[in-house]
Amino acid sequence: MNSIIKRSPILILLLVLLGGCSQETGTTSSPAQSASIEMTEQPVSDAAESEEELIARAMAIHDRVLTFDSHADTPLRMIEPGFDMAERHDPNDTGSKVDYPRMIEGGLDAIFFAAFVAQDIRDDEGNSRAEALGLQMIDAIVESAEENSDIVGIALDPDDAYELEDQGKRAIYIAVENGYPLGDDISNVEKFYDAGVRYITLVHSSNNDLADSATDPNGPEHEGISAFGEEVVREMNRLGIMVDVSHGNDDVFYDAIAISEAPIIASHSNARAVTDHQRNMTDEMLRLMAENGGVVQLTMLSSYLLDEAENPERDAALAELRASSKPASEMTEDERLAMREAINEINDRYPNPPATVKHVVDHIDHIVDVAGIDHVGIGCDFDGGGGIEGIFDVSEVMNITIELVRRGYTEEEIDKIWSGNLMRVFREVQAVAGRLQA
Amino acid sequence: MRILLVFILFVQGFSALAHPLRLSLSEIEYDSDSQLLTIDLRLFLMDVREALVFDPDSAELAFCQPNESPHAERLLLEYLDRFFYVKINGEKVALKIKQKRLSGEGDNVALGVVFELQQEPPLTSLEIRNAVFTDLFFDQSNMVYVHVDGDSRSLMLNNTTPVHELTF
Repeated sequence: MNSIIKRSPILILLLVLLGGCSQETGTTSSPAQSASIEMTEQPVSDAAESEEELIARAMAIHDRVLTFDSHADTPLRMIEPGFDMAERHDPNDTGSKVDYPRMIEGGLDAIFFAAFVAQDIRDDEGNSRAEALGLQMIDAIVESAEENSDIVGIALDPDDAYELEDQGKRAIYIAVENGYPLGDDISNVEKFYDAGVRYITLVHSSNNDLADSATDPNGPEHEGISAFGEEVVREMNRLGIMVDVSHGNDDVFYDAIAISEAPIIASHSNARAVTDHQRNMTDEMLRLMAENGGVVQLTMLSSYLLDEAENPERDAALAELRASSKPASEMTEDERLAMREAINEINDRYPNPPATVKHVVDHIDHIVDVAGIDHVGIGCDFDGGGGIEGIFDVSEVMNITIELVRRGYTEEEIDKIWSGNLMRVFREVQAVAGRLQA
Repeated sequence: MRILLVFILFVQGFSALAHPLRLSLSEIEYDSDSQLLTIDLRLFLMDVREALVFDPDSAELAFCQPNESPHAERLLLEYLDRFFYVKINGEKVALKIKQKRLSGEGDNVALGVVFELQQEPPLTSLEIRNAVFTDLFFDQSNMVYVHVDGDSRSLMLNNTTPVHELTF
């Protein structure tokens, strides 16, 4: 078992400095948090780097590179009454994956917060409401950043992240997930640009007026990007907003490649050849992304990282429980509560095999192999379903760097993966906008 | 004049097996001119089955089918009574099912339930409790969209913050 740092890099460094390398598998806990550090049994030789040395080297790289997560749905948390981004939340208690203290713990320097509006009725009233709700979500992001201006700052351009880093602050970029708030009004693209939006995910779980979703149960409507969606893409090019094809069906990808004059992104998608899921990208798409100059940002959703395994022990235990219980329609309230507790206990006893950081880097390896090192990045989708063993929340993102180092990635390559590639696309998108506006 | 309480609950989240995102969407709409408030719930059928009869694959309840169980609506309303309510001007709204329908396919089949209610203006306060499925998933988040006379607002409720009151 390889080492995984959970929220206590300082403890790791102390262990290295003190030479307190444990040779036995075990855990230690940070007094401040429920962190645990897993150490492996590994023979130490003069030539071999010890696990502690590897981790220390990885942590130093992690600290030096600009780490940039391209997708978090944390604005959904910001609209929870009383939720304070300046407070540290327990992800096992609330499900919250990102707050400012944990961004600092995880060494995450920059993040795109996605303002998400769920797909609803596509008429004038629905569009108007979606626009209002989208702008409200963005207001929540800006307000949160302003309230915490000592530790974070709103970023609009690539260089802003580096400037904020120099100030000791985290960079907050703004995105829109689902083009629904644009309605059918092309002028809304610039409205959202002026509000700070720097990428738009064209579509989400259901088709909208812009594009077809990869997961709409009713199937495609536009055979990719609609005529209006094409107008939107061109307007995004003009303004300098990155085109995000995550959640779109395959035709959306091919249309975006054809329409966009600037490189495109997939802000949170993985490799379909590794895990067969419609949200992931085929090898052909990865190759075309490379030709396009775009980037695919790896996401931490279990179902996109790992094929779901059978769980016969759990299924058998649940079947036995159901068979031995009275019909639910005859249960008292107390009996229902007891049944729910019993089911939860079985689920806890027989958990599904989790996706881990190894699966994440397996996807990275594949994308690097097919598309090249210049076309992959990180987009965790925290607070939108993202979070796996070893990268459960933002405080554990350093474990991605550790695994990359373990697999032999150089600092230059890690820098590309963590931000260099996305920033390259971001700059090119702005350069295209400059040419189009000239 | 007939007033409908409009409350639309869209579950875009997914079953425990299909997708790890535990998210539901509720939409409350009130128009003082028409005095209409309507509740429209759309819940993924797998999650409804898990919540009501502890089995996401059970065909026992058979919602919207010719052989729908006589217990189906009762169990649904009893479940909702535990985890969900809307109070208008301080008074809890009585939920009476007007209509049910199924949409989608496979694991994404959704159960839509419409409630209707009369409400005279003015609507000065709206309190929502939405902790649906927090008994199934600790990280269940329930987004609520509220539209009152063109004033649209959004909020997120969950197991730690299940209730919130809006004033108008």
